[in-house]
Amino acid sequence: MIGIKKEIKMGREAILKSIKKNKPELLPLPDINEEAFDESIDLIETFKSNIAIVGGTVREVDKETIDAEIKEQYPNKTNIISTTNKSILGTVQVDKSTDPHNLENIDLAIIEGDLGVSENGAIWVTANSSIIRVLPFITNDLVIILEKEKIHLHMLEAYDQIAQRDRNFGVFISGPSKTADIEQCLVVGAHGAMSLTVLLV
Amino acid sequence: MSHANRATEFNKDESKVNWHDKALWYVREKRDKSAHNVQGWEYLRQLGSGIKANVLSNLDEYLVQFESNAKSNGVQVHWASNAQEHNEIVSSILDRHNAKKVVKSKSMLTEECHLNPYLEAKGIEVVDTDLGERIVQLAEEPPSHIVLPAIHKTKEEVDELFQEHLGTKPSGGNPEYLVGEARKHLRDKFMKADAAITGVNFAVADTGGVVVCTNEGNADMGVHLSKVHIACMGIEKIIPKEKHLGVFLRLLARSATGQPITTYSSHFNKAEEGKEMHIVIVDNGRTEQLSREDFRASLHCIRCGACMNTCPIYRRSGGHSYDYTIPGPIGSILSPGKDLKKHSSLPFASTLCGSCSNVCPVKINIHEQLYKWRQVIVQEEKQPILKKSIMKTAGVVLSKPKLYKLAGKSARFALKYAPKFMIYNKLNAWGKARDLPEVKNDNFDDWYKKRNKNG
Ligand code: SF4
Repeated sequence: MIGIKKEIKMGREAILKSIKKNKPELLPLPDINEEAFDESIDLIETFKSNIAIVGGTVREVDKETIDAEIKEQYPNKTNIISTTNKSILGTVQVDKSTDPHNLENIDLAIIEGDLGVSENGAIWVTANSSIIRVLPFITNDLVIILEKEKIHLHMLEAYDQIAQRDRNFGVFISGPSKTADIEQCLVVGAHGAMSLTVLLV
Repeated sequence: MSHANRATEFNKDESKVNWHDKALWYVREKRDKSAHNVQGWEYLRQLGSGIKANVLSNLDEYLVQFESNAKSNGVQVHWASNAQEHNEIVSSILDRHNAKKVVKSKSMLTEECHLNPYLEAKGIEVVDTDLGERIVQLAEEPPSHIVLPAIHKTKEEVDELFQEHLGTKPSGGNPEYLVGEARKHLRDKFMKADAAITGVNFAVADTGGVVVCTNEGNADMGVHLSKVHIACMGIEKIIPKEKHLGVFLRLLARSATGQPITTYSSHFNKAEEGKEMHIVIVDNGRTEQLSREDFRASLHCIRCGACMNTCPIYRRSGGHSYDYTIPGPIGSILSPGKDLKKHSSLPFASTLCGSCSNVCPVKINIHEQLYKWRQVIVQEEKQPILKKSIMKTAGVVLSKPKLYKLAGKSARFALKYAPKFMIYNKLNAWGKARDLPEVKNDNFDDWYKKRNKNG
């Protein structure tokens, strides 16, 4: 172990020394003029059409009809985890100490998104809202509930919104998992969720 | 073997080459459409380039800042000067956890360091979990593209591989069936993995976090199901501020595949309770590249693959013809810095058309660097090697009319003047060439012979 530690230290110093020697003179960090990206578009409509482009389904619903909508979309699910109080369809309870491997057979996860991005249909999902980090990935199907007011124009705006968060784990999710690695044929459902439904409330 | 010889090999299967060419061009077209949808795209590229230039000029400070922020989040940070050190560090972490089964998600860096064979020799099972990477791993081949690792494989070939290794039924290459089987096979690997290794797309100095982008969700399945996460990154992956992700994530997927963003952009800042997160920062020749004024901008690269998709030579010669971890135009400017002799034919595997520089989201002057490497190589290598075998590269790929349809006059004009990178914008015609008349068989050779005589 001692040997390894020494080597690591040498690596660090050697790398930093070499960078100091080889780097060019300091170049300024550009300011970002966000006005250059301004657009007067319908945020919600663009968001919806981008979700469709990335292979997801999107519905505008009332808070009262969330569960009815989910049941209609996913009629035959039995192992359901809901981490939000906006849906009472959950059949499996989890907390932070649940072994993620136990989620192998979850059919459906219902979680809340923190914000949406109009330009790409992405939704910011945090470890706090999914409780167990693997949940939105390991579940067979995924429902994300998002408040319409939380849709922003582009990623730069989105990063301003999430700047103050407690940084542990967070992910932008845009559509269901997918691959085109076999002859460029798009197949939805790779390792993550096979489908994504976004409910806008 | 030179690039030309390996390209000739690839060109033996004409229909496959035609498919390869078309498929990549289609990806390039998707990139164009997607980019045109973004208000301020060119400004976004400028920002990407400017931020990366600042990063390189202050890299040591950013790395130290990144390290201290990561550490304060409980992340363990390691530094490796070269591939050997990188592999030893990864291996020692795995040892400490007695990890025997490892899942890996796409990481060109671990390819570069030949991590898999190193770990396998120690009795550790390493499974590449990106579908394309799994396909090439089963085929015992390196990836042929940095974003589409198995782009050189037909679905029938994948079908056979899966029959042999996963016990699937013959399906005639049905993609849905094959992906479904791969999902089952790899899910089992995720469930049983002791440790997960991932690459890093961006490492954020002001938060100490790393961002990993995938479409399949494999990085997250691996990391969240195992006890240890080891993220391996080159020193150039640093960006100064989290907000800059708002620039780079807008550029990356659009340039890569034309998607507005990858399905998952995962931000890892702290390990989940009871787990460990490690980051290995690797040099392996990068600080040397930093010292070369003419070539340092190659370190801006965010590995989107756009320069490959657009390159007329890459599309018709295949990634393996470059015989380097990173193929295509960017590989051709990175590889000579690693081993000038071994990779001396790569800067010649180009028409210098400039299409790569035109699409590059961080505005690397790729074709100018190719030209500059040629000048270095001409000085360092003996002429005959250069003329006889190296210049053949473009010839092999471009001279066969059925294999490569060039535009009429404008393309010939451009070929004639190819080494002077003044006129390349005209050469977008390479791409549009499909509809235009074919060039005569001997066009490139003629040009080359004439050029030889003249000078
Ligand atoms: S050089 Fe530019 S275009 Fe090529 S992979 Fe890197 S970022 Fe993409």
